Amino acid sequence: MIEGIGVTKVFRHGRSDVVAVDDVHLNVIPGEFVLIYGRSGSGKSTLLGMLGGLINPTSGVIRVNGLDIGNLSDAMISEVRAKEIGFVFQFSGHIPTVTVLENVMLPMLFYRDGPGSLSRAVELIRRVGLSDRADAYPCTLSSGEMKRVAIARALINSPPILIADEPTGDLDIDTEYEIMQLFQQLNSEGMTFVMVTHNLDLVPFGTRTYRMDRGKMMEIPRPLPGVTMTKEPNTHLDHDAGTAMNEL
Amino acid sequence: MSKTHEFRFFRLVARNLAHRPYRNIATVFIIAIIAGTLFASQYLMSGAEQSLDAGISRMGADILVVPERYAAAGQSVILTGTPTSFFFEDSVFEKVTRVQGVAKASPQIYIATLFASCCAAPVQMIAIDPESDFTISAWLKRNPGVVPGVDDIIIGNSVIQNVGRDLIFYGHTFHVVGILEKTGMGVDNAVFTRFEDASVMANESGTKAVRKVTIPEGMISAVLVKVLPGASPAEVALEIQRQVPGTKTILPDGLLNAVSGQLSAVTRLLSGSTIAVTVVSIPLLGIISAMVADERRREVSLLRALGATRLFVVRLILAESFSLAIIGSFIGIGTAAAILVAFQDYIAYTLKIPFILPSPLALLAAGGGALLLSIGIVGLSSLYPVVLITSSEPYMALRGGEL
Repeated sequence: MIEGIGVTKVFRHGRSDVVAVDDVHLNVIPGEFVLIYGRSGSGKSTLLGMLGGLINPTSGVIRVNGLDIGNLSDAMISEVRAKEIGFVFQFSGHIPTVTVLENVMLPMLFYRDGPGSLSRAVELIRRVGLSDRADAYPCTLSSGEMKRVAIARALINSPPILIADEPTGDLDIDTEYEIMQLFQQLNSEGMTFVMVTHNLDLVPFGTRTYRMDRGKMMEIPRPLPGVTMTKEPNTHLDHDAGTAMNEL
Repeated sequence: MSKTHEFRFFRLVARNLAHRPYRNIATVFIIAIIAGTLFASQYLMSGAEQSLDAGISRMGADILVVPERYAAAGQSVILTGTPTSFFFEDSVFEKVTRVQGVAKASPQIYIATLFASCCAAPVQMIAIDPESDFTISAWLKRNPGVVPGVDDIIIGNSVIQNVGRDLIFYGHTFHVVGILEKTGMGVDNAVFTRFEDASVMANESGTKAVRKVTIPEGMISAVLVKVLPGASPAEVALEIQRQVPGTKTILPDGLLNAVSGQLSAVTRLLSGSTIAVTVVSIPLLGIISAMVADERRREVSLLRALGATRLFVVRLILAESFSLAIIGSFIGIGTAAAILVAFQDYIAYTLKIPFILPSPLALLAAGGGALLLSIGIVGLSSLYPVVLITSSEPYMALRGGEL
């Protein structure tokens, strides 16, 4: 589904080069929930951007459903993004000038023959629990509500893959739990997830987990001992598990 | 839940425009000034040229022969109706008719009047010979075909009186029998009577008027000439000047040049204003666009991440810019048109040019030209923002450069 071979990204920073992602190999198969854990600045978001065709790798190959997205024209890579991949960003990525409903319908502008429709947008908004906020503008929404809108928008064209960059980074524990429950439900319905987080608590949601550090990525063997996720604050991560993760 | 049916490209454009009202109003204002100035310039030029064309074609004469020293005054009579009096011997008329290439000729006498009850300013009285005249009857708007009889008068379109009513000049009462079509030229402010009646009026003026008017015996002011089909008016005019000493001929081209000369100062001013506004506005609009573009980098990157192509983004930015250009142009052109129409007589009087409302086609051309130029300017000022936005990597712009 998504394959990365020797993916490397080097940024020019002043006179020096910064290796953000260093020779990463990854193979995501359909129905997986791949979770990439790492500290801020470890390169996980850059990797995610490359997997979604939003950042060009310095070297290496990325294939989405067999297509080498590095060799695609702008129109073709845009089509891949519109059809194959749903994005949920860390920040509240919304167009401020249009309503919640219209934000959810935005990807339909780029994939006209897709499954997106007004009724589907309404249904998705209902599913993320925002039926009464459909006509609201993004600036009036809470962080959690914005995230739900982003999820509904990511799903409008029924993409097989959902890429999420720290989707719960700025949310309270209850909302975080609800969103992860929703992701899990979608994953159980067959959607493939690639998600990055710096929150160890979310590790149990992944069917495969990687850790990134200074651009390098390594797989964490499963199951991690004692890692559970509950709604109770400060009780959702076993101390040993955290230690084990940090030791990897 | 919203009753919105569809979410289309132009709805996004409209929403984006509505979201930045103050900046967009400033942009619209700048564009309105550019478009309005350009339109005004074209409108005045077009109105003057059409007025001249209409006036000359309705005049029906190819050449106007006047005393050698009074060419400018003769032009003023035709163009703006500035009242004047000048004379040469009536033998000129006979000589002109004998020049090769002359088909028809008709003498006229110009008499500058005082203020009359009809008019806010002195009008030009023109005495004609109804038997040889080939011009006036063709212009008649009211009572066409009428031939002026004793004490009858035909009035220009701007002279305020109706057919059947009387007008008094130099104490002599004239009866209005016809009104001419509007030409925008001097004839609009002129009144036409017969030689005989003008002579009687002049003779009576010593006792009936506050100022005596004199029409010298055996003198005329001008001869209107129609050339034979196929003959060149310019060549016939030269021949008249050669064969009839002391005369000067005025051709339509000469009138056009005179108007162009009078207009050139105005058009220079208007063109200069347009260029100055354009030169200032391109970088100004560019700066505004660049500021908006910088603000919108994340928004555009989001669209790209959701599947928008670069072309879509370019279309979006240009559609927004062109929408502002179109709105601004319509406001500018509409305002300029309203001002010009409302004050066109005053403007023409001040600029000393003949003027009528340009034809719809000319208005369309002037408006279209102003619109296209405004769109071009806006398109030019949008180039940098378009390049800026589309050249950045979407995800890095989304994350503000964070790795």
